Amino acid sequence: MTFGKISYLCSRMETRKPTRTWLPTLLILLVGVLLFVLNLVVGSVGVPFSEFWDVLLGGGDETYRTIILEYRLPQAITALFAGIGLSISGLLMQTLFRNPLADPSILGISSGASLGVAIVVLLTGKLSGMAVSAMPGWSTIGVTIAAFAGAFLVLLLILALSSRLKSMVSLILVGIMIAYIAGSVTDVLKFFSQKEDVHTFVIWGFGSFSNVGKSQLGYLAGTILTGTVLAFLLSKSLNLLLLGDRYAENLGLNLHRASLLTILVSGFLMAVITAFCGPIAFIGLAVPHLARFTYHTSNHFVLTPATAVIGMDLALLCNLIARLPGFDGNLPINSVTALIGAPIVIYVIFHRQKVLSK
Amino acid sequence: MKEVLRCNGLQIGYKGKALMPPIDVVLHEGEAVALVGANGSGKTTLFKTLTGNLKPIEGSVELCGKPLSDYSPNERAKLFSLVLTEKPDDLFLKVFDIVASGRYPHSGLMAKLSDKDYEMIKVKLQLTGVFELIDRDFVSLSDGEKQKVMIAKALVQDTPIIYMDEPSAFLDYPSKVELLRLISRLAKEENKTILYSSHDLELLMKHGARMWVVAKGKKLTECQTNSFDNEIIKSYFFNDCATVDDLL
Repeated sequence: MTFGKISYLCSRMETRKPTRTWLPTLLILLVGVLLFVLNLVVGSVGVPFSEFWDVLLGGGDETYRTIILEYRLPQAITALFAGIGLSISGLLMQTLFRNPLADPSILGISSGASLGVAIVVLLTGKLSGMAVSAMPGWSTIGVTIAAFAGAFLVLLLILALSSRLKSMVSLILVGIMIAYIAGSVTDVLKFFSQKEDVHTFVIWGFGSFSNVGKSQLGYLAGTILTGTVLAFLLSKSLNLLLLGDRYAENLGLNLHRASLLTILVSGFLMAVITAFCGPIAFIGLAVPHLARFTYHTSNHFVLTPATAVIGMDLALLCNLIARLPGFDGNLPINSVTALIGAPIVIYVIFHRQKVLSK
Repeated sequence: MKEVLRCNGLQIGYKGKALMPPIDVVLHEGEAVALVGANGSGKTTLFKTLTGNLKPIEGSVELCGKPLSDYSPNERAKLFSLVLTEKPDDLFLKVFDIVASGRYPHSGLMAKLSDKDYEMIKVKLQLTGVFELIDRDFVSLSDGEKQKVMIAKALVQDTPIIYMDEPSAFLDYPSKVELLRLISRLAKEENKTILYSSHDLELLMKHGARMWVVAKGKKLTECQTNSFDNEIIKSYFFNDCATVDDLL
């Protein structure tokens, strides 16, 4: 090893990081800006770039103004923040459970949200004898609150159980069982409900970035940014958890507190996003892997911000595809995230196998 | 020589059932001891008690003159480091990341490393002979290399005591010899107190290593020898008729 390399590795380790992460980060951010603009311009009604500039500068055609500012901008901003939150939530789960296939839904939190929505949409319709879908305005906020309540109840249950369960594997299994219970109660509710309400519920289950009104955007952005900052502050604990419980503990980590905080932050992000956008699959599972492959690291001080920016790009891309002209309205976002996310996960599985059998 | 580890009438075991008579032993700085015994003889139980993962049934463990239970988790992280048989298996963990984690008990929330920390990481990796692997993925290393990286991590953690759980398991013969030499060197040159469990009875006796022999229900025996010793083998096998010939 040359002297140059030694000094490069040891005394200049800090300068090593930016030179390695600088280029991909810049590219990811540029792609993000491009995708964001495309999200505003592309759709069933195409907006010419000249008109887009006019709208951006505060003028422009009234129709285009409405389309961009009232519909597409909130949707793009929702996609952006949901992408960040889902990906961070997935990263936390994968690190906590040391399982590359863990995703935010693994603890049954999204199933809890579904159950909450099912209770509100299906049961109130049943009891009042009137389809909830026929009550305008009320339904979106009602669904959001119901989803959040359901998700949060499951989160509290998981937190309570986590202190009694010794191993992370038991916790995953209990989470999956909770998901099954919630799913089965949801199915029972569906079975006894009116057609219109079941339809509303199924549509919610497709996931969408277009249900967040302008007035709610602030809450969504604020909570997700808070969760992301908290996740970043957990980086040291997460790096330790990667080494395995016994090493982590020996390096001074309070295992119980660290797991609790990780579940709390991840579950909180998941609850907020599911409440606003419905259960959105695959982004939380795939993006942390993309981040690891892009930056070739598992150091959370790099990985957490990397996951956030890549998650933002991927969600914007999925939203764009779902809205391409010709689809006439929005495709279910979950079908797009699965189409893009599932191949990534398959690649990860093959890559793992290759590396581990070496 | 400074006393580092002391067991006072220590009774180890699960659910109030002691595995062996009370243990009274002392270790000073610069001493390395091999913990020897058949599977199920209580080596792991003793390790767990010494690291505070298991409460003693009776008696106490004292580290640097204070009971183990008086130390906070972060203070313990600066008192003893571990080298375990299980190894990190994350695909993207670099050798550097693992060794750098040894500085975590000494750093703040952002785990920022100082120039001194970098220097220490370099020196300890050189000491264990794996500095050129610093930029490699940990999972791509051989078992022997992984072991040396984990020992470098323990050294970077900068603790007076290092516990190693079967550090020579999975290693080929030359690596076992090399590891044993490394352990004696670390004790002598770095002034570490090292307790390591091992099944390489013959190698340890040839090497003249100091040993604690444990067997279920029997008193822990301290010994050190440069030759095959019938007494040691008897206590190891927990069997009066075993002799050196039974080893061959």
